[in-house]
Amino acid sequence: MRTILESRSRWAVLALALLMGAGCEKAPSRWESAQTQTEGKQTSVAQKAVDGGTFNQFFPKQGDGYDIVFKQEKSGFAQASLQQGGKELALFSIFDTESNPDARTKFEGVTDKIAGYPIVTEEAKSLSALVGQRFQVQVRSVDAGFGESDRKAWLEKFDLTGVAELE
Amino acid sequence: MSQTIYELVDDLPAKSLTTRMLGALDWVVPGEWQNIVGFENTIRHVTGEKNEARIQKIGERAIALYNDKTQGYQRAVWLYQTVDSVQGLGGFASFVNKIGESVGFLSFLTKITPQADTTQAVDFGVKLVTEIVAFCKINGIPGDRITDFVESLADMRHESLMRMAALITVDGVLPLGPDFMDKALGLIDRSGVSGLQENKAFAAISAMIPGGSPAKQLDFIKEGVGGIQGWTKSFVQQKHLTPVSITEKLRGTIGGLESKGDWIAASVDMTTNYFEHTGIQSVARSLISRAAAEV
Repeated sequence: MRTILESRSRWAVLALALLMGAGCEKAPSRWESAQTQTEGKQTSVAQKAVDGGTFNQFFPKQGDGYDIVFKQEKSGFAQASLQQGGKELALFSIFDTESNPDARTKFEGVTDKIAGYPIVTEEAKSLSALVGQRFQVQVRSVDAGFGESDRKAWLEKFDLTGVAELE
Repeated sequence: MSQTIYELVDDLPAKSLTTRMLGALDWVVPGEWQNIVGFENTIRHVTGEKNEARIQKIGERAIALYNDKTQGYQRAVWLYQTVDSVQGLGGFASFVNKIGESVGFLSFLTKITPQADTTQAVDFGVKLVTEIVAFCKINGIPGDRITDFVESLADMRHESLMRMAALITVDGVLPLGPDFMDKALGLIDRSGVSGLQENKAFAAISAMIPGGSPAKQLDFIKEGVGGIQGWTKSFVQQKHLTPVSITEKLRGTIGGLESKGDWIAASVDMTTNYFEHTGIQSVARSLISRAAAEV
């Protein structure tokens, strides 16, 4: 009797395990194709990308109660944080689109400009300019109080002419 | 590569002993840490984007950057994971040692296991340099720049600040007391190269610690601990961190642990993985904020 019960419960456990296994199968992820395309590849940054350290001089200068704290500095990319009294307001960045030319496509046909450079305004939290047809200069809000007009005002404080002259 | 970045972030638990412990430490750094889990969710949180097409582009760029070993993000994740996976042994050694000290007939254990305080001090030093090296990998700074790391302490936020707070409370004040910085430096010094080489966490990540030889690496660790001394001391003072205050807060959240501070530290070491958990969150945040600027 005991043996039968034991064997029955064993089957029940096995059946349950199989059912659970079937239920746990993952649906294909929206990221799978990007993963397959880039796995093991060291091609995310273009060889001719400008060194990130070169960009630092073109960021807005700190002062008037604002601090600029540099964060990431990688080949073709530099990022800094705009702060006031220790509070982070926004993230600034300069990116050499040689590493991802697709980033330029959003500027095609746009009419809005800052200092003569096309800007993309429809993004919810960021404002991006394409400078010298190659460098993406971006201001991204972190603090909720840092709005559209702030993004525009700070984007204008970059040395965009300096960026455009980079090669 | 063992796991993709989106799997790593998707697999972070919404609730675990680690997240409970970190939640219990919120009073040390109020509001800094939220347990953000899930890759897509992290993109939304970090960038504020709502447009699906842009979220897709940001995620894809983040994946490409993570997969590219030269960008340092993979190495940072490996460091956070590795120092945590072996950290349990350090805690276990302390634990066994404490049993030896408190239970008479097991006193022989104190002879076959390292001194708990020394183990904790070396563990603290190794975890700190892991943080320094990972910080440099993530931000693109040469790996031996302790001064850059020390300067960045003032600007630490979110998961990174919580990780430092947990390091100071759980791996510093709890086992060694409020004056643990002076004590740790002395203990690391006394333990020397041989003590360092016996440390499991050091053995696992030593190839990544600058210096080239165990003696130079020991110097690097001492330099790191010395470098954060000022910041850490004022942190401990400002937050009134003592083994008693920490134990009380942790005891309320994590039931079933002994009340003696050093027992808790050993148990916490064994059963939680806060470096890995918050480390993956830090890497995801840096990666995604960069990706958002590159699409």
